[in-house]
Amino acid sequence: MSDALQLGDRTFSSRLLLGTGKFSGREAMIAAIRASGAELVTVALRRFNHDHDDDICAPLASLAGITLVPNTSGARDAKEAIKAAELGRELTGSPFVKLEIHPNPHHLLPDPIETYEAAQVLVKEGFFVLPYMPADPVLAKRLEEIGCAAVMPLGAAIGTGQGLTTAAMLRLIIRDARVPVIVDAGLRSPSEAAATMEMGGDAVLVNSAIAVAENPALMAEAFAMAVKAGRLACKAGLMPQSETAVATSPLTAFLTEVA
Amino acid sequence: MIGTRPASIDPTPWLDLAQHADRALVRQALAADAPGEREMAILLSPAASAELEAMARRAQALTRRHFGRTIAMFAPLYLSDYCSSSCTYCGFSITRNIPRNKLTVEQMETEFAALKKMGIEEILLLTGDRHSAAGFEVIRNAVERAARLFHSVNVEVFSMTGDEYRGLAEAGCTGMTMFQETYDPAVYAGLHLKGPKSNYDWRVHAPGRALAAGIRTAGLGALLGLTEPRGEMISLYRHAVELQRTYWRGGVSICFPRIRPQTGGFAPTFEVDERMLAQIVFAFRICLPDTPLALSTRESPHFRDGIAGIGISKMSVASKTTVGGYSPATEHSAAQFEVNDDRGVDEFCAMLRSKGLEPVFKNWDGVYREPLAAHAG
Repeated sequence: MSDALQLGDRTFSSRLLLGTGKFSGREAMIAAIRASGAELVTVALRRFNHDHDDDICAPLASLAGITLVPNTSGARDAKEAIKAAELGRELTGSPFVKLEIHPNPHHLLPDPIETYEAAQVLVKEGFFVLPYMPADPVLAKRLEEIGCAAVMPLGAAIGTGQGLTTAAMLRLIIRDARVPVIVDAGLRSPSEAAATMEMGGDAVLVNSAIAVAENPALMAEAFAMAVKAGRLACKAGLMPQSETAVATSPLTAFLTEVA
Repeated sequence: MIGTRPASIDPTPWLDLAQHADRALVRQALAADAPGEREMAILLSPAASAELEAMARRAQALTRRHFGRTIAMFAPLYLSDYCSSSCTYCGFSITRNIPRNKLTVEQMETEFAALKKMGIEEILLLTGDRHSAAGFEVIRNAVERAARLFHSVNVEVFSMTGDEYRGLAEAGCTGMTMFQETYDPAVYAGLHLKGPKSNYDWRVHAPGRALAAGIRTAGLGALLGLTEPRGEMISLYRHAVELQRTYWRGGVSICFPRIRPQTGGFAPTFEVDERMLAQIVFAFRICLPDTPLALSTRESPHFRDGIAGIGISKMSVASKTTVGGYSPATEHSAAQFEVNDDRGVDEFCAMLRSKGLEPVFKNWDGVYREPLAAHAG
């Protein structure tokens, strides 16, 4: 049974996307990508450094079966993000862009206003735009309306590992979305990735939780399994939750009893 | 004239805690959900030095969380050692009878090329205090030239007007560093007797002027050894927090310069040993988890190797503190301070990698170098 993730005009069988920052080196990063089975990996334009040891683009571009998603991390407004997206497309040939605009360099939370403005332009320029965004159900619909290929609400601030702090908002975004919802940022453990998929998320993007783990490749494998398990559980249909136990002798039995 | 320390960075309310906190308070501070000024004071206390290992573990976890297993790399380039101020602790002071040097445009380009060859992508341009031989135009020109080659161009020069900072931003300057040296106005007055730098107020407000003018990041620091360090570090912490709140689009980073031997033989009044320096770094990391913390080559290889990634997220490498000095073509002049870690890029990077840390030379892109619109706050 096909269960592909559709983004733009492409389909992907893996629902785990990987970020490529924060790794202790190239080998650790590549081992984690392979172990994760990810087909989409995001890569920061600010880490492109052609012909240098710390270049992140060339080692990724040479990996078979990987589609690069350049991101605009470092951009602080729409204008910068648009320039970065254009340069990223020129350098990688990828039709995707992860639109990431964080004016505050400390908490790195996304700017909804600048993100919306940049997305409008980039969609018109033919990008498949994947906007990193606050977990705001209205913003998600606005971004969907202007033609984004997916929305990427955050679970918590980047790198914090605080998990699904925005769960209630994510449920609304997922309930109403007509484009894939990729939960991005804040996840710490595979169980949180599974929970995201169980609540109906279409995919998750993980970076810090894998890059900073003691064994990144093993953690990547664990996340891959969790994403698959969560996806299966969602499709299987979770049993309804109930606040009360179901009594064997119902209190309302007298209403149906014949006197 | 003695300057006025803004109330927002006065350490006085916390000095007692910074001296007399007990171990129970230290443990509470280490477990705090959102460490702030109070925790900063407690973690700087003598009692906290008994919990240094616990502080280091927390600092490492937070550094990994926010910066990953990476260290951002940069290198300084002194453009000139002409100076108009008389800072008693500095090798470039106007009172020192040393031959002065300044890079010609050709020498500057040669130095840039040498740094590029070393892999440097973030350059820090330095001068002495404002001097007719190295004034605003010289720096603006150097920034403009450097910005053609380096993705990230920062300056550590003299306090400028908002318009001048705006001019630098438009020329491609991404960041400025301005150490207050000491936040204590009376101590400051005693150390900075002559020249533009004697104006405490003008200097203490410089990072704010720069961020307001559209410079992206401000690097702060106090020169450890000039006066009692705990109060200084509380002021530094408060200064960083105040700037982050006021200029919310701006980045703040913190450096930890410690007085080293240099021309003139200034001896620190309050010596900060390596243990205390480490405690300071850990306390800052715990209380400012997502702020870049930088360490220069003033410190020994042993100390730098040990603290990389444990609080520290950014390091200079292969630094020369003479004017020029990266290419054989520039003559060697007197150094502003003695470098204690003279390892080359390859050796230093091999050390980082052996500790599971990736040296990152480029973590920015020139494409983002539009100056931000000037903003009031």
